[in-house]
Amino acid sequence: MRYSYNWLKEYTDTALSVEELAERLTMSGIEVEAVTPAPSAIKGVVTAEILTIEKHPAADKLTVCEVKTDTERYTIVCGATNMKAGDKVALALPGAELKGGVKIEKTRIRGVTSGGMMCSEVELGLAESSEGIMILPGDTPLGMDINTHLGLSDTLIEVSVLPNRPDILSIKGLAREISAVTGSKFLDKAVQVKETGGPVEKAVTIGIEAPELCRRYTGRVVEGVTLRDSPQWMKRRLEALGIRSINNIVDITNYVMLETGQPLHAFDLERLEQRTIRVRTAEEGETIETIDGVKRKFSDGMLVISDAKDPVAIAGVMGGNESAVRITTKKILLESAWFEPTSVRRTSRGLALPTDSSYRFERGVDVEGVRKALDFAAHLLAKLSGGSVLKGVVDAYPKKLEPESVRFRTSRAGSVLGIELDEGRVKEIFKSLGIGYKAAGEKGELSVVPPSFRMDIKREEDLVEEVARLVGYDKVPVTLPSVPAAPTMADKAFLVRKRLRELLVASGFLEVINYSFVSELTFSLTGPADKKGVTLLNPLTEEQSIMRDSLIPSLVDTLVWNLARKNTNIRVFELRPVFITGKDLQEERWKVGGLMYGPRRPESWNVPGEAVDFYDVKGVVERLMEGLSIEAYAEVKAGPTGASLHPGKSAFLELKGKKAGILGEAHPDICHRFELKAPAFVFELDIPPIAELVGEAKLYSALARYPESTRDIAFVVDEDIPYGGILSAIRALDTKFIENVMLFDVYYGGNIPGGKRSMALRVVYRSSERTLKQQEVDGIHSLVARTLEQRFGAEIRKG
Amino acid sequence: MTERLEKLEKEISAELKGAAGKQDVLGIKTKYLGRKGEFASLIKDLANLPPPDRRQAGEAINRVKKKAEQEIAKLLEGFQDEEKKQRLTREKLDVTLPGRRERLGRTHPITQVLDEVIDISTGLGFEIAEGPEVELDYYNFEALNIPKDHPARDMQDTFYIAPDVCLRTHTSPVQIRVMEKHPPPVRIIAPGTVYRRDSDLTHTPMFHQVEGFMVDEGINFGHLKGVLTHFLKRLFGEDRDIRFRPSFFPFTEPSAEVDIQCVICRGSGCRVCKESGWLEILGCGMIHPEVFRFVNYDAEKFTGFAFGLGIERIAMLKFGIDDIRLFFENDVRFLEQF
Repeated sequence: MRYSYNWLKEYTDTALSVEELAERLTMSGIEVEAVTPAPSAIKGVVTAEILTIEKHPAADKLTVCEVKTDTERYTIVCGATNMKAGDKVALALPGAELKGGVKIEKTRIRGVTSGGMMCSEVELGLAESSEGIMILPGDTPLGMDINTHLGLSDTLIEVSVLPNRPDILSIKGLAREISAVTGSKFLDKAVQVKETGGPVEKAVTIGIEAPELCRRYTGRVVEGVTLRDSPQWMKRRLEALGIRSINNIVDITNYVMLETGQPLHAFDLERLEQRTIRVRTAEEGETIETIDGVKRKFSDGMLVISDAKDPVAIAGVMGGNESAVRITTKKILLESAWFEPTSVRRTSRGLALPTDSSYRFERGVDVEGVRKALDFAAHLLAKLSGGSVLKGVVDAYPKKLEPESVRFRTSRAGSVLGIELDEGRVKEIFKSLGIGYKAAGEKGELSVVPPSFRMDIKREEDLVEEVARLVGYDKVPVTLPSVPAAPTMADKAFLVRKRLRELLVASGFLEVINYSFVSELTFSLTGPADKKGVTLLNPLTEEQSIMRDSLIPSLVDTLVWNLARKNTNIRVFELRPVFITGKDLQEERWKVGGLMYGPRRPESWNVPGEAVDFYDVKGVVERLMEGLSIEAYAEVKAGPTGASLHPGKSAFLELKGKKAGILGEAHPDICHRFELKAPAFVFELDIPPIAELVGEAKLYSALARYPESTRDIAFVVDEDIPYGGILSAIRALDTKFIENVMLFDVYYGGNIPGGKRSMALRVVYRSSERTLKQQEVDGIHSLVARTLEQRFGAEIRKG
Repeated sequence: MTERLEKLEKEISAELKGAAGKQDVLGIKTKYLGRKGEFASLIKDLANLPPPDRRQAGEAINRVKKKAEQEIAKLLEGFQDEEKKQRLTREKLDVTLPGRRERLGRTHPITQVLDEVIDISTGLGFEIAEGPEVELDYYNFEALNIPKDHPARDMQDTFYIAPDVCLRTHTSPVQIRVMEKHPPPVRIIAPGTVYRRDSDLTHTPMFHQVEGFMVDEGINFGHLKGVLTHFLKRLFGEDRDIRFRPSFFPFTEPSAEVDIQCVICRGSGCRVCKESGWLEILGCGMIHPEVFRFVNYDAEKFTGFAFGLGIERIAMLKFGIDDIRLFFENDVRFLEQF
């Protein structure tokens, strides 16, 4: 909320400058966000003195005046007649801006150059009408800015008011807080309403039918009002605080709300059916046209103000059009009430209609301030609309709520805060905040009664906080808790994620973080077509409307974003949970995904410019398994991998026989959709099955003590026969002596017939117990050759 | 024999003197010291001498031979040294050509700051806990003393999945989940992703937080100040001023906002700190007794504090980043800088 420093000063006698004040408030929990000079409508007008007045040589009704400020002399052509030499005046110099945005320039008027203008009260925005120019007091110093001289300058203080402090949502409330914080005096106002005629009970009937939603409803009737513009001072204050001036009656209700925090409403009494007010809940289907001209439909349970027939206002939110004040209005019913906060909030949200009024009601207004605000408004109405206030007040207050007392223990407060706390200091603080107390029980124990405007104080901790913030948080000594040393065990899943990141970084991958929500279209990319997602009820945009169930589309997004920025060499990974609909709640599954695109290695003079391919992405997955020491459980297999990958150039990862991820070339449809010039290669692995296997005790195996024998074998075989099958067949032959099988060449074309390929293996033979004999090795090796021939139809190449 | 030997000695000296390179020396070596060389024939001729003379003659031959061997070896070494020198002068790389590099990856700047925060916290004895990102309204709000229809809900615009299921707006629900399961004492740090329905220059609908909390007998506000002061000085530097000022959160009481001296202007006032010299860095407070009631902790016996900080904000301050959206655009030119 925005506050005027001048206005605040009506309620507090603090001597602090506005900057000091802002600092003190901020450090006591009232966060001042900005302190700015109030914009003034009048610019470039200074005080001046008329030296001489002469008749204009070419115009009877004009005069030519010599005028001086503290430093300069000016010749001014003037049409007024109410001044004499020696008068002090308000002089607008060239470049000045007057009320209504009028700009002043140097002009020639009938042959005489006028160096400015002497202003009237109307031109300065000080009055609605005036005769001649404004004559200032004789002791006015010269050359002063008129705003400063007339006290029109003001400073605005912007405060971010937290939800627990509705009591400071007013000039009066903040002034009260300032007084408490700075120790200055709080200057409360009391108005005496001049009543005539009456009694009010004869003029209006008010009944509360939903007392649980409306604790108090007060009304006064003002007759004989005239709708007109508000006085300038009132307009200035409203506008400075961001409220547009409408007419004197509406402005008064707003003015009183800003000053006291109590929202008010003015009804045209004669437009209320049977001059009756019923505070009741809406019936299903009831409607109202509010003062903004919008027709609104109530839902069951919303609180309305109704006349004998229909709703005339949404309680605490906005008035209706039908009963609004207008030019013909003569009699007014002023409403000042207390509505239940959650009810107002639900209604205002339900109708999507947040207002200055609902904002205050839903945070809680002071039930004991309701009547005061009503009187203040009635007083202003009588003064500014020419109306007369009927005798008496209708005050429906069915059940006065007695404040509950709260137990406060000085010792408890001290131990929670970690300070030595003295009961005397506590009492001082309570007193300054208007919090009542009396001694209770043991020493240092108080029975505390919070004031009606402090609805946030309900329990001991609330009081501890009040004490703490007025003592000052800076007075609390900084100490470290002495706690027993407890060994902390890092979460395993957490460690595995960290290790995966390290391995990917070591493999040249940059980590990315994409939003967890994606568009429907992106979501559908990974299929299957009929899947359901975790969908937001209130997304910000369609682009962010559904929780992703795969990292792959996001990685493709990252690629596309970078390609559009000419970053063509991409190797990125993401490690985040994805979201999958479950039976009851959704499931969150941690995954790691990666994408490779462009050259295999950074382009350079001595690096072959080869593009990444399937075996690069497979190599990365193998490296991850190796790095986590779970390679023994992992197998990459051909098989279905879903809609996001090329069916023939993709595979899945199996860990101990269970599917744990996919890898391969992104589906050509995806490449096509995003107009990729080359294929992208991706992988996506589930982290939980990986984490489950990681960390099984590692056992050292003895280093080989006997020499190895190696034999190479080359053969031609059908290209459809997967290498994986060949490898496992060989490994199955004699696991005791075959230490390693390494594929060192694959060759197509040349003298190899179509549909076939040539492969070359190096087999390493070794025993852990002795040196193998030549003949033994040859024996096993010929078994390898025979297996290749018989099981796979291979033709062994000689030489 | 003696004459032959003398002649031979002179001959070798002369030939070696005339040798122009390694090849000449090797030729001389073969000619005299080879299996069919001059010395070999001399030794063979020893047999023709009368036995009493043989020994003396043999010794003489050996002496001359040894001398020749030494001279040859020395000369060879000289030539070889020279040759090596020449080769090394000849062999030369342009060392200013770029090296052959493997790619270097990097973790995301947010991950880096998270890791740092976690390291500092675990160093202070905090354990890591995590919770779900799609959270029940109960954990995200109600058990944190933010009832339905309470204005405090306006502080956090929320994405909903169902009427009672939302994307968590902070990591504070982890507090409830942990305390529900574990009796005090607890000392937990909870890093994670959070969501708010908000998007502009300084807000993204998804961001990261770390929640920390500690509950035990006798924990007080001074301890909160102590732990956070230590924490922030580790994160931003020992010489940076820190201040605690009162604030409001529904789940703590008393609540505080912690400011650090502006990292840009060091307190003299600049655009980043809005001329105040201070930057708001985290929210904290003593855990509200109402929260303890929800998890069945005895609020008379135990007290605790909690704090929460936004990782993006810290990363922006640490790295001088002025647009939060950069973190989620994933431009590799940005990511490569960290």
